[in-house]
Amino acid sequence: MAVINYEPLDSNSDVTTTKTLLYEAIPLTGSIVSGTYNDENIKNFTHGMFQAVYDYPYLSSSANHIFDLTVGFSANSTISGSVSATQETKKINMYNQFAQVLLGYTGSENTVREFENDLTLDNVNTIKNALFINFSRLITKDQIKKGSFTITLGSGSWAAPFTDPVVLTDASASETGGTNNTVGGDYGVLYTSGNVARGVLFYQAGIAVLSTASFDSVASFYSGSGFSYDIAQSLASASISGSCDALRHRIRDISFNNTTEINSTIYFCRVPHNKYNYSANPTYLNSSEIRVKSIASDTPISYITTIGLYSPNNELMAIAKLSEPLKKDPSNEITLRVRLDY
Amino acid sequence: MAFLDNSGDIILDAVLTDVGRKKMADGTFRITKFALGDDEIDYSLYNKNHPSGSAYADLEILQIPVFEAFTQTNAGINYGLLSLTANEVLYLPVLNINEKTSISNTVKKPSTPTTGLFYLADTSTDTTTNLLLSTALAASDKFLTSNGASGPGLLLETGLDTSNVAGDAANKSTYLTANNLIDNSFYVYYDNRFITSVLGPAAGAKFDNTSLGLSGTPTLEYTLTTAPPITTDLQLSNYSSARVNGATDGVVKNPAYATTDTSVSNIAGPRGTFTVLNFTVKTNLSTEYTLYGSVSQDVFGDGKLYSYIDTTVYVQGTRTGAQRQVPLRIIKYISG
Repeated sequence: MAVINYEPLDSNSDVTTTKTLLYEAIPLTGSIVSGTYNDENIKNFTHGMFQAVYDYPYLSSSANHIFDLTVGFSANSTISGSVSATQETKKINMYNQFAQVLLGYTGSENTVREFENDLTLDNVNTIKNALFINFSRLITKDQIKKGSFTITLGSGSWAAPFTDPVVLTDASASETGGTNNTVGGDYGVLYTSGNVARGVLFYQAGIAVLSTASFDSVASFYSGSGFSYDIAQSLASASISGSCDALRHRIRDISFNNTTEINSTIYFCRVPHNKYNYSANPTYLNSSEIRVKSIASDTPISYITTIGLYSPNNELMAIAKLSEPLKKDPSNEITLRVRLDY
Repeated sequence: MAFLDNSGDIILDAVLTDVGRKKMADGTFRITKFALGDDEIDYSLYNKNHPSGSAYADLEILQIPVFEAFTQTNAGINYGLLSLTANEVLYLPVLNINEKTSISNTVKKPSTPTTGLFYLADTSTDTTTNLLLSTALAASDKFLTSNGASGPGLLLETGLDTSNVAGDAANKSTYLTANNLIDNSFYVYYDNRFITSVLGPAAGAKFDNTSLGLSGTPTLEYTLTTAPPITTDLQLSNYSSARVNGATDGVVKNPAYATTDTSVSNIAGPRGTFTVLNFTVKTNLSTEYTLYGSVSQDVFGDGKLYSYIDTTVYVQGTRTGAQRQVPLRIIKYISG
């Protein structure tokens, strides 16, 4: 039914906006991505250009998309033009796709930039062979929190990859420094515990670009029946999905904090002392007599449970509920702070 | 819809309604005012005579759990808190339906086949009303006729329904007029799938017990006209609203009258205003009987078949917010 009494909100004094950043810790264990579900949570596609990882067998409606994996290399890489190349064009295309979206183009030739193991983008210290991890929007939300990312990779043998773990972090990055800004957003550098740069992390895009250098010393990066590839051979000769399988085999855990940016409008609903002290609630009356009074001079009382926010046309736009009734009488004024998040 | 956790600090749970989201989608979202509600509160729990003292009078009320916010507007604020200028108000008006038999040209609920419903004849054919009149309900004051401008109509009165305050003119002035508790118009909410418009009293409507001298015999005069639809906070899905006029309820208590005021009015104390309602049933209402009602039923046990839809009309005073639900059966003769 129509509300009888409205109270105006002054757009200058009763309404304000705020921005809040919420962080959630996201721990991803390697067992989920490399074995818990017998790879039923790993989705490969007929085009073979990337591999999707879910937190549950992906045919289930309960499955959530966690991240995608793919590999690629620059056309300038020494791997490019390999004799035993497999999916070479697709791998170059993948690299270029990431590079053009995240870094853009440069130079008089307007060539796509290459990833670099630093923040300078001076075409020095480039990452020509890369492993890409694209985290889904579901878990990164608005962005990965700077300085919170850690990934532990195994650089041991194929049989026991984590005997020689490599921990990469972006600990040097923060909201106030340690990052560079590109067309793909902010990125920071991933360092080993020995402070060796081994990749970059794009925070807003939620993409980790790992240099294959972390696995340069691994003789058998990818092994199977009748073959054993080092990282360069894997990138050149194995399919993209095969290299992704190998990378998953060597991911022990990933953790980071995501960030949700909440923009809020706060409405200060000021209830004056002389208003809203009576109710149209049918139980308010007993034979027309107000139940909360004994005599006319008694103080009228009402109990607030609900705040309705209305448009100029009296349309109910938002509702706020108090967790318990709030007593209102002429002796008090109440300011109810209603926050709508967007 | 769960309850809110009320074990700790007071929290506010705020959500956009479906209307709010729609407005946000089309770029017209704008909030300019607020209102307060107390739908969960049962004020009968207020114990003025609590054995532990007046400080405990509202103990049970304050412990009432509150639901989470609904996103549908129809459960938002159904009644609302009121802002009255006067603090020393002990009585508030109610809105009652007057079915007193002493008043002609008003509709009354039949006692059979149902006891709680008002009937509204779908006049797709004249036969319908003739049959209702001649056989089924057997009296013209037992049903409304769609779009019937001359009645019978549904008579509603506002006032203080208490025997503690005599319904005389002085008390009306003291308790109602002085406290600005007079509803000069009423909102009527109706299901627009079945009803296309509401009829209310035209200017000059009259209801009193003073026109015929000391007999106290009631006089009710009105003609009905289509009330203008209004856009307001409808809240109920498929419901439209109209504003109908109210007119001064001239029934007063006078010990000299041969007919007592309470035998002509359904308000025991001072009366405020009255209104008379009728409705226009949607033309070609056919499929709706199948979808929302019952088709070809021997409603009256006379071998004749009728289709009907039960719906509810809501009436609300525009000043005091006093409400009344009117259960309505739209009925149409089919065969037999």
